[in-house]
Amino acid sequence: MDQNKPQEEDYGYNLFPERNSGKFQKGSIAESLFTFNHKCQVMLQFAMETSKLTVLSCLFSAVYKDRHFSCEDCDGTVSGGFDATSSQIVLCQNNIHQQSHMNRVVTHELIHAFDHCRAHVDWFNNFKHLACSEIRAANLSGDCSFHNEVSRFNFGLKKHHQECVRGRALRSILAVRKVSREEAEKVVDEVFDTCFNDHAPFGRIPHDKKDANFAYRDFENRDRYYANL
Amino acid sequence: QPPRTCDDYWSEFRHCKSLWNRFHNYYAHGTSPSCGQWKEDYYSCREWEKNPGPETKESLQQSERNREAEQRKFTPVWDLRRDPPRDWHMPLHQGKSPDSQS
Repeated sequence: MDQNKPQEEDYGYNLFPERNSGKFQKGSIAESLFTFNHKCQVMLQFAMETSKLTVLSCLFSAVYKDRHFSCEDCDGTVSGGFDATSSQIVLCQNNIHQQSHMNRVVTHELIHAFDHCRAHVDWFNNFKHLACSEIRAANLSGDCSFHNEVSRFNFGLKKHHQECVRGRALRSILAVRKVSREEAEKVVDEVFDTCFNDHAPFGRIPHDKKDANFAYRDFENRDRYYANL
Repeated sequence: QPPRTCDDYWSEFRHCKSLWNRFHNYYAHGTSPSCGQWKEDYYSCREWEKNPGPETKESLQQSERNREAEQRKFTPVWDLRRDPPRDWHMPLHQGKSPDSQS
């Protein structure tokens, strides 16, 4: 998309100051034991073991906690991000304090990682690609579950999930790209139908543990399934 | 053999009809879920196991192919890769600029 932007685009890297230094540093032992970083690492380990995530991380069993995840301090209220240049998921140790939140953020970012792994996603230049992945991540991670929406005081029922997905995808785009709200809304509208209905790798929207377990069962059964179609 | 075990079809049917699933379907799509196909597939599956002939197989296979087609009926916004990105497993380098394109 060719545009003359008044501000230089930084692709959202300002939210993750530890990435901007260009160095990937390991902290001291004291730092790792007694800080948010340690708590983040522990919660991440736990999150990797829950069922929804098992589907994703098994699907490309090439996701390694030490290589593809990083616990860092972030700006503002952002909870995490996916850094396509290093194929790493960033978890904001200063903004994630509950296990359930960690689970959700890891699932959300794994969906971005999954999209990056399976498709030629042009994160930096193609807004449709960015919007699509954000729609999918909001849709499939549990970000927009009834429970989470109620806890944000967003009380809606009929088709509210879709409204939530649209809204959160929009917010995510506006957080990392310097575009107008109208532009972002336009792009989300353009790709919404396609991307809302793309449920890979689950085959369904996993609303609860049972859905996730059924999706995992389908994954385990995939060889038999495709051989007998 | 059938694409799924017959028990899987039955459990999908039961799950589809459950209160929670009906709630989630209304919350996400604004409608009641349509579960009849799972039940039909269960009976087709049992039939397949008893009399494995081309007609009994075809009914179940067609149902599954339709299910697959439903998942794929929207044109994707991106091209799929054949292999994962080359740098997926490459080690992280000290001093690498975060703005560099992969």
